[in-house]
Amino acid sequence: MLLVVLFVGAACKGRAPEEARSFRIGVITSLTGAAAAFGQAHKNGYTVALAELNARGGVLGKPIEILYYDDQSKPDQAVQGVAKLVDQDHVPIILGAFSSENTRAMIPAVTQKRVPLIMPTATADNVMESGSPWVFRICAGSSAYAGATLDFLKNNGAPKTLAIVYENTNFGQANAGSMKTAATAAGMTVVAEEGYQASSPDYKALLQRVLAKEPEVVYFASYLLDATTLMRQSEQVGLSPKYFTSAGTGFAAAEFPTEKGAGKYAEYTVSLAQWLPTAKWPGSKEFDDAFTKLTGAHPAYHAAEAYAALIVAADAINRAKSDQPAAIADAIRKTQLTTPFGPVQFDAKGQNAHQVLVTQVQGGQYKIVWPADAAEVKLVPTPAWSERH
Amino acid sequence: MEARLWSALQAVLNGLLTGSLYALIGMGMALIFGVMRIVNFAHGAFLMLGMYATYVLFDRLGVNPYLGFVAAAALLFVVGVLSYQLLLRRIAERSDFMQILLTLGVSLILTDGVQLLFGADYHQVNIPLLDVNLHLGRHISLNAPWLLSFAITLALAVGMFLFVMKSRFGRALRAIAQNRYAASLMGIDVLRTQALAFGLGLAAVGVAGGLLLPVFYLYPGVGDQFTLKAFVIVVLGGMGSIEGAAIAGVVLGVVESLTSLYWGNEWALVVDFAIFLLVLSLRPSGLFGSQRV
Amino acid sequence: MTRRRALLAAAGFGLCLLVPLVVSQDYQLNVLFRVFLFAALGLAWNLVGGYAGQLSLGHAAFFGIGAYGLTLFHQKLGIPVGAALVLGVLAAVAAALPIGRVAFRLRGPYFALATIAFAEVLRLSAKNLHDLTGGDVGAQAPALFATNPSRWFYWSAVALTALAFAVTALTARSRFGYSLQAIREDEDTALACGIDAARTKLLALAISAALTALGGALYASLFLYIVPDQVLAIDISNEIAIVAMLGGAGTLIGPIVGAVLLETASELFKNVFHEAHLLIYGVLIVLVVLFLPEGIVGTVTGWWRRRTKAP
Repeated sequence: MLLVVLFVGAACKGRAPEEARSFRIGVITSLTGAAAAFGQAHKNGYTVALAELNARGGVLGKPIEILYYDDQSKPDQAVQGVAKLVDQDHVPIILGAFSSENTRAMIPAVTQKRVPLIMPTATADNVMESGSPWVFRICAGSSAYAGATLDFLKNNGAPKTLAIVYENTNFGQANAGSMKTAATAAGMTVVAEEGYQASSPDYKALLQRVLAKEPEVVYFASYLLDATTLMRQSEQVGLSPKYFTSAGTGFAAAEFPTEKGAGKYAEYTVSLAQWLPTAKWPGSKEFDDAFTKLTGAHPAYHAAEAYAALIVAADAINRAKSDQPAAIADAIRKTQLTTPFGPVQFDAKGQNAHQVLVTQVQGGQYKIVWPADAAEVKLVPTPAWSERH
Repeated sequence: MEARLWSALQAVLNGLLTGSLYALIGMGMALIFGVMRIVNFAHGAFLMLGMYATYVLFDRLGVNPYLGFVAAAALLFVVGVLSYQLLLRRIAERSDFMQILLTLGVSLILTDGVQLLFGADYHQVNIPLLDVNLHLGRHISLNAPWLLSFAITLALAVGMFLFVMKSRFGRALRAIAQNRYAASLMGIDVLRTQALAFGLGLAAVGVAGGLLLPVFYLYPGVGDQFTLKAFVIVVLGGMGSIEGAAIAGVVLGVVESLTSLYWGNEWALVVDFAIFLLVLSLRPSGLFGSQRV
Repeated sequence: MTRRRALLAAAGFGLCLLVPLVVSQDYQLNVLFRVFLFAALGLAWNLVGGYAGQLSLGHAAFFGIGAYGLTLFHQKLGIPVGAALVLGVLAAVAAALPIGRVAFRLRGPYFALATIAFAEVLRLSAKNLHDLTGGDVGAQAPALFATNPSRWFYWSAVALTALAFAVTALTARSRFGYSLQAIREDEDTALACGIDAARTKLLALAISAALTALGGALYASLFLYIVPDQVLAIDISNEIAIVAMLGGAGTLIGPIVGAVLLETASELFKNVFHEAHLLIYGVLIVLVVLFLPEGIVGTVTGWWRRRTKAP
């Protein structure tokens, strides 16, 4: 009885349809679970790219078909996804995942199976420290975030004291760690390092703690809605540093400066952007338009990163003229492509030297203020809350 | 020194305000837990439903959440009664195991169902009241929406307490909580009363959802963190004691706020659970409970 | 259990060991690994949840201690992998003692809530003490098997299940097992009969913790990378309990059946229903609870018994 059940269980997984009519690319992302909103953003980005690519004939003469695997925002499911997509569906390349921990979890698997992985959004440093020749990252990492912010600060008053406020998750801890290391190396003093439980309604006590240390700069690593709560409650607590800076994400979301986000509380905040709809890269506006047409809302940079990942993948496959993972990986390594997400070129470790832009919210919009050659406007000093109305 | 005192006072006051919402969520669960001994793991999911209901009213019809919560409460009352009649009643006699499993299943259905219907996106409500702060002297500032929730919650808590203590229905509830079998012998329609109690408990959660919406944000998984907190509150307050849950909720809010101030926000939840375990090991019947555990 | 049944079970496990000869895809082996892992975890849980009747929803604590034990003892103290594994298991047993001492004084849902609280405290502490544990950025777990890992992990999972099965079988018919069941049926009467309920329950929890920790260590080594939200999560505790309860708590093969059905259903739903798979999974759970109250094995056994009753 027992054995029958077991064999049935084992046997029912032997389905591996052979379809040569489309070129299948594997995508692992978080369609359900805590990161579902971002997984959906990924999916929408991929969808826009897919439509474009297939309109141009797909790859190697066949239309592209994306096989999605939902990792449910869990690292072990992401690894399972690698196994399924490679072993069962025989995809020669995988894109994903969304979060850094899920992406990091997948690295041993793709390395062992010798399949290239293009990472669109994982920013933690440890994701690129494995030394695996099969992984490629399109976005800039958290140490690049820290570096860009410190650069900006050094050239804008060179403040000395820094408070880091980060959510207690992979994203938050990774960015807090990178910033602490980089800031200390740059000669700044980190006066406070406050981790917080994400998704709480009340951060006022936390902000009071930060206020007591009187930092000149506050660096946030938060997702959108906590960013809104944090800014509103900063006003309530009276926390007025010289600069509110952040590791992008929540503070760089499309809705953040609008009424759907922090509205006027977002004004003057400094953030980092991997991409903006107003970016000067060719095709940015077209991507923005296509995405808005598909979903009714503007894309955040996560969607742009997913879009770029698929474009890069297709480009590499076409250049490799092969459906073999090793050949595709080699082609990816030699990528030199201009995309709406900016130029893509991978170094020896597989990292794309993506430019990080420093932005400031002015008049409810993100304006690029650093580096100087990309700046649209000048930086506006941040007034204290009591001086605003 | 003085600044530190003011800081502490501010934290305590904020904790009271946050705690009032916890109290409301806890009271809903105390009602359910006390009367039916149902361990409702879908409590947070129902809270999420209440928030979505309030949000839809705001988004589509422009109804202010501070009015919309009434509709959310009414909706959840109906949902509660229906859930009880259709699902929970059938396993009323069965083990705790199965009840927990059932409510876990319901939680999954609600959460994923809402995601399929509304998408996984986050939503926020922006109303002018959010910008209003009440200043007491130079050092204390209290955010208006929280004050409003506190007032509404207080009124509701008193109302619920009086209702349970004075009304016939309330007496029936307490009778069932003491001894279900004896209550049925006394002529109380146990199943119907329990269905209504479940509805009431969820209605309280609906109110909490409506009040929470403006100061927080909305996504399908938003309720999960509150389920566990509700359990902690109910146990702290003493099983089935509504007034106990109310006080425990507020206490928890203050404790979290002070922990955040002196130790760090990331430890607040740990302290919650630590206190929970401490109370369970020293005085399992809770602060106000008298029931055998 | 009877000798015939024991031989049958041994043959069953033996056959399972042969599966990699037929099934070679990593994906399928990974799914089967998961099936057997949760079967083993369910059986371990069953000792406390099924036989002793104490609904624990905090077993992720032991799972996580096993995972982090293996990882941290090896990484931070340089202890060789095998020894680190054993130390992780011992740590879980050591943790079981205070947890049990506090929690077992409580009954019913209070016990469940207490176990949840313990597991959550561990999870949050692991997150917060990120200098020690790597926090959410993650910790690198050592590899137990260098070559053909999928196959070896599958075999390990089968072996662990066999071990848990054997332990459960021995317990069920032993005096210890009878004491547990007596406690489950009516603890006060059991106490009156002279059973040291506290010690008996603690022993069950310790054994359960050891087996669960072994599972956790295996799991960590398979993925080579762990974060608190993965190995100490309440989701794991729930999944273990669901597998055992739906399969049939208190029965010998219940958890195994539960694991096979639920884990394969979960994977199947994901591939078929995509975003709606959690909803369908929730519906499945609700349906089983409503219509199969004794769990699958319990209901089937009851039905079988009724059918074969003498007229």
